Amino acid sequence: MEKNFETNTFAKRIISMLKVDARRLFTTPLFYVMAGISLVIPILILVMTTMTGGGEAATAGFDNIWQIFGSVSNTTADGNGATMGMDLVSMCNIDMMYFAIAVLVCIFVADDFRSGYAKNLFTVRSKKTDYVISKTVIGFIGGATMLITFVIGALLGGKIAGLPFTMEAFNAGNFICSILSKIFLVPIFVSIYVIASVTCKEKLWLSLLVSFGVGMFLFNIAPMVSPLDSGILNIILCIAGGAMFAVGLGAISNLILKKTNLV
Amino acid sequence: MNAIEIRNLTKSFGSKQALNGLNMTVPVGAIYGFIGENGSGKSTTEKIICGLIHPTNGDVKLFGKEYTDADVRAKIGVLIESPGCFRNYSVWNNLMLQATNLGIPNAKEEVIKVLKLVRMEGAASNKYKNCSLGMKQRIGIAMALLGNPALLVLDEPINGLDADGMRIMREILLDVARNGCTVLVSSHILGELEKIATHYGIVRDGKMIKEMTAKELDENCRTYVALQTGNISLTKSLLQRKYARLEEDTENRLRIYDGVSPEEIVTYLYQNGILISEISTNKIGLEEYYIDLMNEKGANVYGKKF
Repeated sequence: MEKNFETNTFAKRIISMLKVDARRLFTTPLFYVMAGISLVIPILILVMTTMTGGGEAATAGFDNIWQIFGSVSNTTADGNGATMGMDLVSMCNIDMMYFAIAVLVCIFVADDFRSGYAKNLFTVRSKKTDYVISKTVIGFIGGATMLITFVIGALLGGKIAGLPFTMEAFNAGNFICSILSKIFLVPIFVSIYVIASVTCKEKLWLSLLVSFGVGMFLFNIAPMVSPLDSGILNIILCIAGGAMFAVGLGAISNLILKKTNLV
Repeated sequence: MNAIEIRNLTKSFGSKQALNGLNMTVPVGAIYGFIGENGSGKSTTEKIICGLIHPTNGDVKLFGKEYTDADVRAKIGVLIESPGCFRNYSVWNNLMLQATNLGIPNAKEEVIKVLKLVRMEGAASNKYKNCSLGMKQRIGIAMALLGNPALLVLDEPINGLDADGMRIMREILLDVARNGCTVLVSSHILGELEKIATHYGIVRDGKMIKEMTAKELDENCRTYVALQTGNISLTKSLLQRKYARLEEDTENRLRIYDGVSPEEIVTYLYQNGILISEISTNKIGLEEYYIDLMNEKGANVYGKKF
């Protein structure tokens, strides 16, 4: 009996894969939990660090709302420029969301392997590229959502904490460019987390450990390439960097999936 | 053309040789019973066929094409170990995800169709984690059947099922095969396998030791007369004078394999003053054939050293 097998085009394959992952992302409670955490964290940080105890600030905290989004390129809270310091303002800001994104991506990918869904998936899909692209795109959407909810949470938190909204050395346009730059940096981190996840497969703890470890190295670049006084060039730089890293690191993830046993 | 054609397949995990030059031929439309002890290489072979692990060496062809061919692989349904469902999703959502993944145009209709096929129409809204083992196995089959696969690879799908579950599974697989799908099914429950398989492959230590059709198995299976008397040792010595192929089984019954009729034995023993308490004509089934085959090869079957 002759069997005819129709060819699935790349577009058809990637669309179906994206549909599956989008459906999973938006129906999993994890996504809403992570988005909720992203909303609550800045509120907690801003409110708690500006609480007064006996007339003095309980913690050396934020002087204005914008500090939670970073600093301008030539000055920071510690006066060392837009680089990472180890003080509260430098650590507890929007950039820590890149680590929270690791949790989302690692759980999302590890779930595929833990549930056995990966077996069904990779049996019918010999091309691993679809999987890597889809996970990166969906990770980017999830990560971008978390950053946006963080921005909303921070603005709400600033209002609740009564922090000043005055902008110095940058304007609203710069701020939007800064946030967009940070969003376009997400694919870099997501690609790293996807590599860690497809390498560690169902071992979630290991993929998280590797993701946090590797993410720590790149954590420093975020404030440098997306300061509060960002412009169009920063956005372009972040888009280019994000795309290049996503493609390059995606190729590595693809290779790992091709060369290693999937169960 | 064969649905599966494997030549000299080897696979090693570190120092452990899981497959050792395995050859296998599964014709299109067959229900192929894949039999072997635990660790004999059945699951490894199935995982290689599904592209989940890579062979160390050898040639695997599906429908005449390389097993890595994307178009062929898109037409494989699989149930290996677990159904591959998300615990917190409903049965319906799990099936819809797989249908979307396969790019099935009328996903809803297709899901309804496979749910009917596995007799699960009423359980579509149940959460997967709340389903019984039998239901989960049927969901796994439903998942594998989505998109009208040309080849179904099932790893021990009837393990842990009750009698009714096994019957339903048997009917499903026969339905599927009737529709032209080739089924590769591994199982330790040989009695069940015997009821549906059209071909068999017996594997041991990573090698195929026997491949045959159900008809060949039928021809290989010997008919024998089993009898029980009050004095087995005397009966045995009397029968040994007349019949060459005689043995005592584990239930203290004598088996005569010479194609002799029970009437002839009854008459002969009666003439020698032996009364028979029980006599029957039997046929060696797949299970006994398998044990005999393993016995010949010196394998350890069911924990008993032969």
